[in-house]
Amino acid sequence: MRRPSPLQPSERNPRLVEQRSPERTVWFTETVGHEPPVARERWFLRGGRTYRSWDPSRSKLAGALVHDWRGDVPEPGERWLYLGAATGTTVSHVADLLGPEGRVYSIEVSLRAFGRLLSFAERWPNVLPILADARRPEQYAAFVPLVDGIYTDIAQADQVEIALANARRYLRGSGKFLLALKTSSMGREASAVEHLRAATEVLGRSFDLDRAVHLAPQHRAHYFLGGRPRRSLFDAPKGARSPAGSPARRSR
Amino acid sequence: MAASVLLARGRFVYLVRPAPQPVLAVPIADDLTAAARRLTHGAPDELPRAIVEALRALAPPSIAVDPPQLAAATMRLGVRTVELAPADARRAREALPAVEPREERLLLLAIGHAALDEAMRSPEEMLVSLTREEERIERALRREGNAADQFVTVSDSPLAAYAEEWARFRRAFERHHAELEGRVRTLAREIAPNLSTVVGGKVASRLIAAAGGLLPLARSDSARLQLLGTRRRPSHDRGPRFGVIRLADRMSDVPDDRRGAYARSLAALAVIAARADAYTHADLTPSLLARRDRRVETLRRRRP
Repeated sequence: MRRPSPLQPSERNPRLVEQRSPERTVWFTETVGHEPPVARERWFLRGGRTYRSWDPSRSKLAGALVHDWRGDVPEPGERWLYLGAATGTTVSHVADLLGPEGRVYSIEVSLRAFGRLLSFAERWPNVLPILADARRPEQYAAFVPLVDGIYTDIAQADQVEIALANARRYLRGSGKFLLALKTSSMGREASAVEHLRAATEVLGRSFDLDRAVHLAPQHRAHYFLGGRPRRSLFDAPKGARSPAGSPARRSR
Repeated sequence: MAASVLLARGRFVYLVRPAPQPVLAVPIADDLTAAARRLTHGAPDELPRAIVEALRALAPPSIAVDPPQLAAATMRLGVRTVELAPADARRAREALPAVEPREERLLLLAIGHAALDEAMRSPEEMLVSLTREEERIERALRREGNAADQFVTVSDSPLAAYAEEWARFRRAFERHHAELEGRVRTLAREIAPNLSTVVGGKVASRLIAAAGGLLPLARSDSARLQLLGTRRRPSHDRGPRFGVIRLADRMSDVPDDRRGAYARSLAALAVIAARADAYTHADLTPSLLARRDRRVETLRRRRP
């Protein structure tokens, strides 16, 4: 029998584990949840800890790791705000990375997706599901405190504005900011690279951005961006209003 | 920033008053489930009695509230509200005590269940759910029927017995589908009478399901409605040309090469019908039907 290659905790997060082999690296997260699995991932026990495989073609954060994302990742004990939680595949891995002391506030607007998110949140003690529209960040102010990180994965034309409005409202001054940019939902007049350039320019005014990575072939025309906020993010009074009702930003 | 601030957080409502007076914190209910039921929209629509009394004593000309859903409750007391700017809201919230993690989680799960329950109970959401189910079953029936036709049997053999068994199962499956379709049609006729008359109950329900509700459908234009239900990506030169409107009433009365023209006209009428159903609730069926049938006659008569 072939011996499995050793699991190696990542230096960025001890709950993130990589299995290196000559062909490729596979990522796992040490889980805080209970079976059954969220997606069709593999679970196994090793050394008294339960690990779950993290599929880069199902989750954009895992895709970013595969593409050598050098920016921030969630770390144990932090509180995160997750916009566009959908049915909870990536949320579950973010929750795993945050560990039992962390918390992830998951915003989802679609009813049927939220129903599945809710049943998964029952099994993950640090996932807090909220049925709300991320376009209106003030509407869930009663439930979300200041957070250490914001993860945005919303397939909308104004996703950058949505993320900014939420960051202004909920992100700690030293917080982390991650955004999975789906350019194909931002209009077809501009190319993917042009959309990326526009998004980087808008976000660059308020964040010190890390180098963006392209998530192809797992996610076509998707980019992964992230960084730390500058003071100007919180000063800017001109962005005080929520993006609802404002026309979607299209790149030139 | 206004002198007093009214904040909702978790199960509590906080009234932050001018300096010497302490912050007032009152739970909207002691029981988490009871609190959750009142928080499905993000904030209670009715303030706790202690808060109401304190507000009356303060008698402020206006008060800052956060989240804005609280405005309805203070409006009823005759107090004007101002919305807090994000930076001020952050500052006001940071002064509040932290929420106990266990309570936070249980409350949010309870709110999630209550909000989902409330939203899914509306006839429109039921129509969307049932229609998606009906579509799925219709697809499965067609696929399985086609596959089963490939099965070759010999008379008086276990193969024939199996085929008989399968046919029985399939009839039951078809009955189930027909029943479901009937329910969907009835529901569609109740929710969208105009639209159901113009395009037929089945297509009306599918349009509503594809748009995600009657309001999103009423907000779209006819070009979009014509493409609802397509899976391919729209494009100028080689995108899809029809969606579920292809199955609409009277489509089969139109010559093949004129169906595109009919689909465009019908989509325009369907949007008008959907808007009437969503907003005015007027009965436009006679005029819409007359326009539709006139269009069919024109298309049958005139050859391009």
